Amino acid sequence: MDWRSFSKLVLFGVLVGVLAMGCGRNAVRASEKQFLADQVMTFDNDPQESSAEDHVLTNREGAAGGKGAGGGGCGCN
Amino acid sequence: MQLRLTCLLLLATSVASAEDRAEVSTTLFAEQRDGGQGGLTVVHPQAEVGTDIGRHVTFDLGYAADAVSGATATTFQVDATTAATTFTDLRHEGRLALGFQGRRSRIVFSGTVGTERDYITRQVGGAASIDLPGRNTTVGLAYNHNFDITCDKDQALLMPLERRALTGMDECAKTGLILGKDVAGMTVWRPVSIDTVQATLTQNVSPTMNFQLALYGQILEGFQSNPYRRVRIGGNSPQEHIPDTRARWSITARVNQFLPALKAAVHVNARFYDDTWRVIGGDLELAYSQYIGNALLVRFRARAYQQSAAKFFKDAFFYETESTAGEYFTGDRELSPVRSAIAGAKLTLITVGEENPVWGLFDKLQFNLKGDLMWLVPIAADRPEDNPAGIDKQFLNGNGLIDAVVLQLGLLGNY
Repeated sequence: MDWRSFSKLVLFGVLVGVLAMGCGRNAVRASEKQFLADQVMTFDNDPQESSAEDHVLTNREGAAGGKGAGGGGCGCN
Repeated sequence: MQLRLTCLLLLATSVASAEDRAEVSTTLFAEQRDGGQGGLTVVHPQAEVGTDIGRHVTFDLGYAADAVSGATATTFQVDATTAATTFTDLRHEGRLALGFQGRRSRIVFSGTVGTERDYITRQVGGAASIDLPGRNTTVGLAYNHNFDITCDKDQALLMPLERRALTGMDECAKTGLILGKDVAGMTVWRPVSIDTVQATLTQNVSPTMNFQLALYGQILEGFQSNPYRRVRIGGNSPQEHIPDTRARWSITARVNQFLPALKAAVHVNARFYDDTWRVIGGDLELAYSQYIGNALLVRFRARAYQQSAAKFFKDAFFYETESTAGEYFTGDRELSPVRSAIAGAKLTLITVGEENPVWGLFDKLQFNLKGDLMWLVPIAADRPEDNPAGIDKQFLNGNGLIDAVVLQLGLLGNY
């Protein structure tokens, strides 16, 4: 299997997984979000650390991107 | 007029909510250099202030700088270190963002300008996110466009193999700091257009687990070579020449799992990357966060990365003895096959003002100290058995056990 076929397979698998998880939209009630609201559960909870790391890595590696738009945690904007 | 401005400022201050924030940090990056060339050192201070104006509007102002000093591989050849030269540079970057937020949604418009001796960044963009019903799923979309320009020698009429590299002596003239000014017969500013889009989906899976999927795409058009870098082709050393168009994409999956019994969390991050220059890469990161009491948070992490070479990349010996790969040639380490690793730790000291504000101002204050060790292992792009020169000295980075270190010190306050 070449890299391109492998990448399509990975993409398909991840999309199926996400759609499956999306089915349980009420799986976590507001009263159960104590741990999700903790700062360690927020993706990119320190924006300056994330941007400094991106800055270093893009000058050492050919790949780029992939950091999300932050968020997570309690699931509220 | 002055009175009206004062009133507006007072009004803005009075309606600012407790979500206002300020963050300052300084990052030191030090990379080893081979052959007695000293090291590459980058000091990267950042400062950002954000304030909520009323319930629905946010305003952010940021500044960052790069003070760079060290040696650079201006010549790419079998022994790059013999032709390395030292340099210093200073880059300034300013950012402004205006956001609007509702009960479940948020949209932010931003503008960034950056300037240094030979490169000017002008970026505009926007990012939006919304919580879907149930508030367990957040969907985000972001887009940026860069109108960048880079300084180069004025040599458009020459064939690639005849072009000379830019040097530190060539003048890169500017007007108004962020506009390039060509110097006839000497230097020109060449455009680089960058379109970046990213879609993010964040999902609460259980009361202790969440998941994020990020899809990233970028198209770059314009002059993307390092104007200073030369490649040895036979007895000639022309400026590096790479394609003007690059399209790239990546997919990243991240999972956080909280462990209530330990007051800790495990983090997993995996990414796959691909582009039209045929650089294919992937990385895997594992991290562990542990609270010690209520005020101390420690995080340990390890990351491994590997990529393949761009389709026009050759090891230096083969460019020199066999000529180019089609019409292109490069000495860029980022386009070579490479393997790298990071191991590090971060210490966070959290102070919450229960009854009285911390330092009389902050509801919450965080002090961060982070350190990373980095390793880099170049891999042969071509047949090692046919390469008597080897690849150990084709890049300027050292071959020591630890290739680079990162130290970061930061202070984040909510007031």
